[in-house]
Amino acid sequence: MSLSGPIICPVCGKKAKTGSAIDCARHMFGTGDQPHRKWVEAQGLSFIDLLIEQATTPGNRSYVLLGEIIQKDAEKREAEKK
Amino acid sequence: MNKYTVINPHEPFKVINTHIHNVDGWAKVTGRAAYTFDIKLPGMLYGKILRSPHPHANIRGIDASKALALDGVKAVVTGKDTLGIKQGIWRRYKDLCDEQILPVDKVRYIGEPVAAVAATTEEIAEKALDLIEVDYEVLPAVFEPLDAIKKGAPEIHEGFERNINVTRHIEWGEVEEGFEEAEYIREDWFRCGGQAHMCMETRCAVSSYTPDKKLTIYHSNQSPYYMQGLMAGVLDMREGDIRVVAPYVGGGFGGKFELDGAIFCTAILSMKCYKPVKIVYTREEDFIASKRRTPMFYYTRTGVKKDGTFCAREAKVFTNGGAYTGMGATALYLTGFFHSFPYRWKGYRYDGYRVYTNTLPSTSMRGFGAPQAMWCSEQQIEWIAADLGLDPIEMRRKNSHQEGTILPGQATIASCGIDQCYDEITKWIKGKGKLPANRSIGISACGFMSGGIFNWFDSPYSFSSAVVTINQDGTVELHIGAQEIGQGSNTTMAIICAETLGVKVEDIKVHSGDTDHCPPDLGAWGSRQTLMTGNATKMASENAKKQLLEFAYAQSGLNIVYDLDIKDRWVHAIARPERGEDFVKLVRKALRGKDGQKIVGRGYYTPHRKGMISPAYSYMLQGVEVEVDEETGKITLMDSMTAHDCGQPINHLGLIGQLEGAFSMAAGYGYLEYMPYEDGKLMNPNLVDYKMIRAPEMPPANIAEIDTYEPEGPYGAKEAGEGLTNPTAAAIGNALFHRFGVQMKECPVRPEMVVNALKEKKEKEAAEKK
Repeated sequence: MSLSGPIICPVCGKKAKTGSAIDCARHMFGTGDQPHRKWVEAQGLSFIDLLIEQATTPGNRSYVLLGEIIQKDAEKREAEKK
Repeated sequence: MNKYTVINPHEPFKVINTHIHNVDGWAKVTGRAAYTFDIKLPGMLYGKILRSPHPHANIRGIDASKALALDGVKAVVTGKDTLGIKQGIWRRYKDLCDEQILPVDKVRYIGEPVAAVAATTEEIAEKALDLIEVDYEVLPAVFEPLDAIKKGAPEIHEGFERNINVTRHIEWGEVEEGFEEAEYIREDWFRCGGQAHMCMETRCAVSSYTPDKKLTIYHSNQSPYYMQGLMAGVLDMREGDIRVVAPYVGGGFGGKFELDGAIFCTAILSMKCYKPVKIVYTREEDFIASKRRTPMFYYTRTGVKKDGTFCAREAKVFTNGGAYTGMGATALYLTGFFHSFPYRWKGYRYDGYRVYTNTLPSTSMRGFGAPQAMWCSEQQIEWIAADLGLDPIEMRRKNSHQEGTILPGQATIASCGIDQCYDEITKWIKGKGKLPANRSIGISACGFMSGGIFNWFDSPYSFSSAVVTINQDGTVELHIGAQEIGQGSNTTMAIICAETLGVKVEDIKVHSGDTDHCPPDLGAWGSRQTLMTGNATKMASENAKKQLLEFAYAQSGLNIVYDLDIKDRWVHAIARPERGEDFVKLVRKALRGKDGQKIVGRGYYTPHRKGMISPAYSYMLQGVEVEVDEETGKITLMDSMTAHDCGQPINHLGLIGQLEGAFSMAAGYGYLEYMPYEDGKLMNPNLVDYKMIRAPEMPPANIAEIDTYEPEGPYGAKEAGEGLTNPTAAAIGNALFHRFGVQMKECPVRPEMVVNALKEKKEKEAAEKK
């Protein structure tokens, strides 16, 4: 499903850079405060494990994984609005 | 004998880049310059600081009664005498304000202040420290970042899971696509050590609190503006009630723009006693309880085509942040940014993690994260060239930044002289001919910023300002908030002011380092002053000049089409230079009708629309010739060559001094300045065991000054002196690689590492033969 507009952060409502899910994931990791961490944890992920995986393995797996969850969440919210 | 060459000389100036000695040179060489160390006020007390012997412990109680009973002791303060405010220079981000200079209930590194004493003499204060009884509950400690992120590691700050203090992510372009296109990918892990700032003047302060609730502080620092703001924050005072004075400063190198124990403890003690209090750190205290260059673990993966075209790079970095944030968060970002420099990549990605440990906090130091970045990057590039059988200089050249290079979302390169830097280094290498068998040459490239656009204090942007006043006798007062720390910024600003006004340097009196009398400026960090304060000074000078020329037009009766100018104190029509008037006479006439007012010009500068990092970038190449004793592993630097693009130089004597100084510090980082810790304790906190480059170790420092024009800089100037701290360590590593084929992955490279690497290599070769 494609979204009608850019993705905004589900926690603080900020549009991260291009408005893509991956940029929103980067914004979440970059901000890293308690509200953002709690949102990630509520999706069944461990914020700190994702960070450490990003830090210790080549590639961008943690950001991609979180980006996919953000995308799904955005789609769900848009569908609910409709 | 050092050789100094100028490429593309451009000399339309009367003052800029002429042979000018430092404006404070007389005061310094005759001993008249009063540093904070020299300040003595009537009734002054002397302070000493009691420090934690434990890397991690709760403070259960402090009993100072015996110390207070000692004759001559006037006051003892502990964390309980403070407001307990957690402070930090990143004060726009509350989480990163994590340091109480006198902690209330917990210490986190060996050497952390616990209590401070004021007494009539330094000896009594020292004696009193032994009488203070501290009841500690010792806690488990962790010293390395890769241990501190493990599950179950001791928690150093509450709420920072796995001790991760700050994270930074940088990404641009198509990283995955770049790696897919790459025909050769290399991965390496590196380890970069810390380094002490090693300022000639150790941390020191004199604070004087008076009954009218005003606090005057003499303090050796890089930014009186920051100090005033930070002290107001921790003391809950108005900034205007605090005056910070830093008239002469014996070196900073990035280590003196945060609060330290000297400034904080003298203020607290003075507020208790209503007397001036002075604290001067010993050299050992400076080692164990100031801050240091950030040690880092670097993973870097680089993809290239077989013809040497760079495709993509990614890096993962863990830094040993020590016990508190300080300026370390900025170093974490900048190391990632400069790890991409000075090259073009299809995609670049960086993830940086700053980790708390129970060690001395790490912070900014000359180069601001870039020396670590270049140690890893420039060696790996050399190895890739060797792996692919390519010329390492030509491979670098074809991938380097050029004028107009865009780093998406980060920077646009407006001026870039790196191509000529490659030419000059190549000439130097060729000129050497065949080297003796025990010598080799290594090179390394680099780029650096001219001041940070970012700010983390009270505003999100950087700024500088200046005020120029023309007196009746034609002398000029230049008030700047920039901080002279020995790097020559007062001279640079005097030159810019004199050139712009059309007078001589000796006509300019520079006032800096005093928050009561100087305009606000973020101070000396990130190579910002020449460009930023330089622009403000130029604007203020132009503003004052315009006011004077308006009067000159009116009184000369010249047609407006004859533009007026001032050169060499002569106010004249540009088209007819013989038609003019003496500068001083004109000033006198101009001021006669101004009711006693002087001519005052104001200038300011903030970079606009210049990306994320800096308004301009300098470029440089470093070459070193190295001799190694194979038996002992001892490294000797035999010769060096620096090719440096700093835009239009303002003061070439200052430039030479800065480049030589940066080389010395950078070379020390590469092979001498080692900070070994055991259980959180620094093992060599003195100048016998901590080795630095001294005069005998300093090789000839040849310089090729590549003159370019930076549109954003005053008269085209940009950075010089900090950037060169970055490439030298890698150049030394590359020289070892060319001589022996060994790949050194840890800096500084100590003799035993060279011996071990050669032994391993021989064993490997022997095994392969079998």
